[in-house]
Amino acid sequence: MNNSSLLRSAFRVFDISLGQMLWSRRSVLLGLLVGAPVVLAAAVRLYAAASQLPVINATRLSGPTLFGIIIWWLFVRFIVPVLGVFYGTALIADEVDDKTITYLFTRPVRRASVLIGKYLAYLACVVLLVLPSVVLVYFLVVPIGGRIGESFPSLAADLGMLAVGLAAYGAVFALVGARLKRPLIIGLVFVFGWELAVLSIPGYLKRLSVAYYLQALVPHAMPQDSSISGLLLALQDQPPVSVSLIYLSVIVVLSLWLAGKAVEGREYVLEQ
Amino acid sequence: MTVKTRYFVIVSLLVIVIGLGTGLVAYYVGFPTNAFFSRGGPEELRFLPSSASVIAYADVREVMASELRQRFRRSVASGAQENGQREFQNLTGINIETDIERVIACFDATANGSAGMGAGVVLARGTFDDVKIEALMRQHGASLENYRGKRLITGDRFVPPFPVNNNSNPGNDSTQAPQIAPPQSSEGFSLAFMEPGLVALGSRTLVQHAIDLLVSGGASAATNDDLVSHVRAMEGGNVWAVGRMDVLRARAKLPDIVANQLPPITWFSIRGRIDGGLQALLSAEARDDESANNLRDVIRGFLALAKLQTSSKPEFQRFVQSLELSGTGRTVALSLDVPSQVFDALGAIATPPPSRQPQ
Repeated sequence: MNNSSLLRSAFRVFDISLGQMLWSRRSVLLGLLVGAPVVLAAAVRLYAAASQLPVINATRLSGPTLFGIIIWWLFVRFIVPVLGVFYGTALIADEVDDKTITYLFTRPVRRASVLIGKYLAYLACVVLLVLPSVVLVYFLVVPIGGRIGESFPSLAADLGMLAVGLAAYGAVFALVGARLKRPLIIGLVFVFGWELAVLSIPGYLKRLSVAYYLQALVPHAMPQDSSISGLLLALQDQPPVSVSLIYLSVIVVLSLWLAGKAVEGREYVLEQ
Repeated sequence: MTVKTRYFVIVSLLVIVIGLGTGLVAYYVGFPTNAFFSRGGPEELRFLPSSASVIAYADVREVMASELRQRFRRSVASGAQENGQREFQNLTGINIETDIERVIACFDATANGSAGMGAGVVLARGTFDDVKIEALMRQHGASLENYRGKRLITGDRFVPPFPVNNNSNPGNDSTQAPQIAPPQSSEGFSLAFMEPGLVALGSRTLVQHAIDLLVSGGASAATNDDLVSHVRAMEGGNVWAVGRMDVLRARAKLPDIVANQLPPITWFSIRGRIDGGLQALLSAEARDDESANNLRDVIRGFLALAKLQTSSKPEFQRFVQSLELSGTGRTVALSLDVPSQVFDALGAIATPPPSRQPQ
């Protein structure tokens, strides 16, 4: 089977899987995750209409600054990795758990096309939910003491960065889901254990994380919640944007290729 | 793909595309889409007369929160300012620090003000205690009337209880209650709550005109293209003023000997940004190119003199060096950057040295 048939098959799987993913129970989690920042932004906007934002370190908090904080703490540090873990690990694992993987694998298509189609459906699903959420947050928060036109380049960079982050995390956890047992636990440990730990340790270990490359693409300054984080920030080295993009592309392609190989070669035993 | 999924995809893409499109237009065209500015200048322009001679704006919230203001308050006149603010709040119920968001003031030299000297109005946007302000003004002799559905508080002999600067009188203590300003206008002072969070105060004529514009629309400062184009150039400043020098000069009735010495300027503008320091751009539009060249020569001479005078005062050198003359054709512009150190130096000069203890 050649590459064009692989892509055609993947597109068929994508077409079916997108609707399944969007209207599944897991989408409640997704809705809550992407809806919370919008609700928060609306609340801040209402608060700012009645009063003024607080002063932090002798500087009044402004809309663009707050938007940067939301992007850092909610989207980059939490929503994107969590969506990657929950959806990425479930691409194949869900079919195994539901014992429906047999129906997919007995079709006259390459097994890798199933994984790629599902991965593309995941990407479309999360991108179509996360990016509008960011746009809404932007238009709610940035006008508080800021100008939409002035901050627009950072919005465009944020949207691109989040899409790349979702692609990278999704690919990594698709590989985890395809190769390992209990992928969800491993994914959560990776995101909230390994990545947080290596990012705070000086040295080269941080290069074995997705967050290291993703954070280099964030156009906002990292918010400092304490003097320790300020110190860490001072010690932190960041790769150039071009290098980060190259590494993230390599992570996506390599992870998907390995995941495809794993799906093609692995014998899935369904528990009776 | 089901119909439901298709609709979801379309709506999501629409949100992204509209958001990016709006941002892109705002970025390239430069139209300000924040809450304070409409198509050209603050939205309150539509309540000001189209014949306005001077319009001034201050983003009070930003200025109050600025680092420069904090330093100024600490170093120069902390006690006097705080007392003045507290008493102003007691009298009017308005906390300048937190209640007023921004003010836009207008002076119309052609309006029928006191003694034919024009009239002024100030529009303040913020959070106000309407009941307290109204009660307080009535307590000071103001009367209440209904004008086109809006409550207009006016006093023919009423004087707003705003504090006046006591520093000019050496005997005054800054902790004393603020003096009541003497009556300045025979037509009285009026105040109207235009809409929630917007107060108009000033000359009765202009306050009534503002209500007219609110109720029935019409020609306003926002429809004066010449004025709006000058106001639009003020974007980025948190304090600014734009005015017509020729109108002011014509109404000022200056002696010929003085009037002939003034440079023939038609428009003037001052745009300032107060944050860690003060960055400002003073612009003037001369009547013709020759007048502009003459004005540039005069300013150049003053700049040279200032550099000479401050050569032995390093604290002022940076300020003087930041003065930059520019402009082409009929426009003359002078930019300046006053670092906070200059204000510290001024504060040190203003603060009297500690008196020596008798031995």
